[in-house]
Amino acid sequence: MTEPAMQLIGLKKQIGSKLIVKGLDFDIQPGEVFGFLGPNGAGKTTTIRMMVGLIRISEGDVRIQGKSIKTDYKEAIRHVGAIVENPELYGFMSGYKNLLVFSRMIPGISKERIDEVVKLVGLEKRIHQKVKRYSLGMRQRLGIAQALLHNPSILILDEPTNGLDPSGIREIRQYIRRLAEQENVAVIVSSHLLSEMELMCDRIGILKNGELISIQQIQNAEEDTPSEVVQINCPAAHHEKAQRLLQEEFGVTAMASGEKLTFPITREEIPSIIKALALADVEMYGVAVERKTLEDKFLHVIGENVIE
Amino acid sequence: MSNFFQLVRNEQTKLYSQLATWIMLGILIVVVLGFAIIMRTADSFIGEYNDATWKQELQEQSADIAEYDPTAPEIMINNYRIENDMKPEGTTAWEFLYQGNFMTSVLSLLTIIVAGGIIANEYRWGTIKLLLIRPATRTKIFFAKYASVLLFALTALIVLFVFSWLFGMLFFGLGGDGTTLQVQDGEVVEISIWTRIAQDYGLQLVKLVVWATFAFMISAALRNGALAIGTAIFLMFVGSSVTMFISDKPFAKYVLFSNLDLTQFTTGYKIIEDLTLTFSVVTITVYYLIFLIIGWVLFTKRDVAGH
Repeated sequence: MTEPAMQLIGLKKQIGSKLIVKGLDFDIQPGEVFGFLGPNGAGKTTTIRMMVGLIRISEGDVRIQGKSIKTDYKEAIRHVGAIVENPELYGFMSGYKNLLVFSRMIPGISKERIDEVVKLVGLEKRIHQKVKRYSLGMRQRLGIAQALLHNPSILILDEPTNGLDPSGIREIRQYIRRLAEQENVAVIVSSHLLSEMELMCDRIGILKNGELISIQQIQNAEEDTPSEVVQINCPAAHHEKAQRLLQEEFGVTAMASGEKLTFPITREEIPSIIKALALADVEMYGVAVERKTLEDKFLHVIGENVIE
Repeated sequence: MSNFFQLVRNEQTKLYSQLATWIMLGILIVVVLGFAIIMRTADSFIGEYNDATWKQELQEQSADIAEYDPTAPEIMINNYRIENDMKPEGTTAWEFLYQGNFMTSVLSLLTIIVAGGIIANEYRWGTIKLLLIRPATRTKIFFAKYASVLLFALTALIVLFVFSWLFGMLFFGLGGDGTTLQVQDGEVVEISIWTRIAQDYGLQLVKLVVWATFAFMISAALRNGALAIGTAIFLMFVGSSVTMFISDKPFAKYVLFSNLDLTQFTTGYKIIEDLTLTFSVVTITVYYLIFLIIGWVLFTKRDVAGH
């Protein structure tokens, strides 16, 4: 196994007498997209700020490529590109000048590299305009551009899709996947949007009240596991017939409640099940398909959203 | 070191990308122009003294001044001129240049505005987060910003000089032999005009640097630009009145305000009698270092938390 891109070791943050982050321990591997999920106030932003040295660590450590952010700050932060919260840049300067200013802070970034990054995020046409005239989506792109300037091996994006329209979100998602897969960058994203995270992450750490309560591996979409939940609305009199049919032909156990029958199934099987039920004269007043999403898992582990 | 230089360069790039900076320099030029016009059109303006009557004119001047201050150094200088038969030049660009040393208070104002904003603005814009997550320590960033403030003061000083000179030439013409008279320890002495300018401006600049550093400290420590600029300007302007107010208290000599006006040692007009130049310089240095250290410690140690 390769060296982890980032290690969190017993990471704690205490403000006053209150523990905001209560000891986080996990590794993030190169080429992995790691999602940081949690309700508001769970400590996501505090953790991210500790990762980049904006907030001091009360206890524990963050190691980036083996270098401690506490004792070896310059060496550690060299590998990190980040947007913390909103992509706030200097509005009175052009996008290009913003990048130029940031490039001067890290030795060895050529003008060619700036042009390359601008191209990568697709801002060529507007790069010489003042940033205050940029839309939020363009700022987000410029934010990513500044984070990528120095070829970081870890990219940290706090709420990267905040305020973007659906096509913008998709584009960002594609960048992130491409960076992880092709450049072997470890990407850490935080969000409270579950569906978003599910689409872009390999693993998701769920944070609640400053504790990591679960790390979920996101399955590939092709995997043949029942990912859908089908709910059929039919009179109770037909339930037995339908349940028997489902059990015999598809090997599925359906639960009955009220007028509803509920059972898990893979997506591909849905049409044939509906056809079989219709042919068996089961009266159906409605068929609803629910995706068993991360949201269900999330709400299951998180329980009620209480900020302590 | 090259890293530090790049940081200063970045600060200068950011500073001069803001329209406000250019407006401030514009204001400075307008003030110089305004002062030149006022001086040129004032009643007391004398372009050239008449060969026959200049001694008489000087005596009248002295008599006028003596009415409110019989010990004024101008009277001694006038007498010295009459005794030694040295006809005054009238107002020249040189004279305009050193008369204009009070305009350094405009310069101070502008420098305080820059110093008060340079760190606080990064917080206000949210860019502090991007600035601090680079391989440059906070200490380096702090001093790069401070150096940038001083560099701005120097630039503005050069602008002030160049335009004072320019308008001086335009309105009054170049004249004189590059010397001027000054009272030192009760004696009238002839000194180079450059010495005079360096002295007048230099002493004003001490004030400028101290208050700019104060504003910078507040900006770094409290991250509030308006507060930094407001308090620094307020203290700068009430400073001399405070000195008057507390002059009979035993602690008065340790108060920054009492020491800050270094011209008291060239003019000999002291509010607190037992102050010496060395004592004042040491006191000012101590205050200055305290300002810098407080700013530096708080800037490097405080968490950058969300809003």
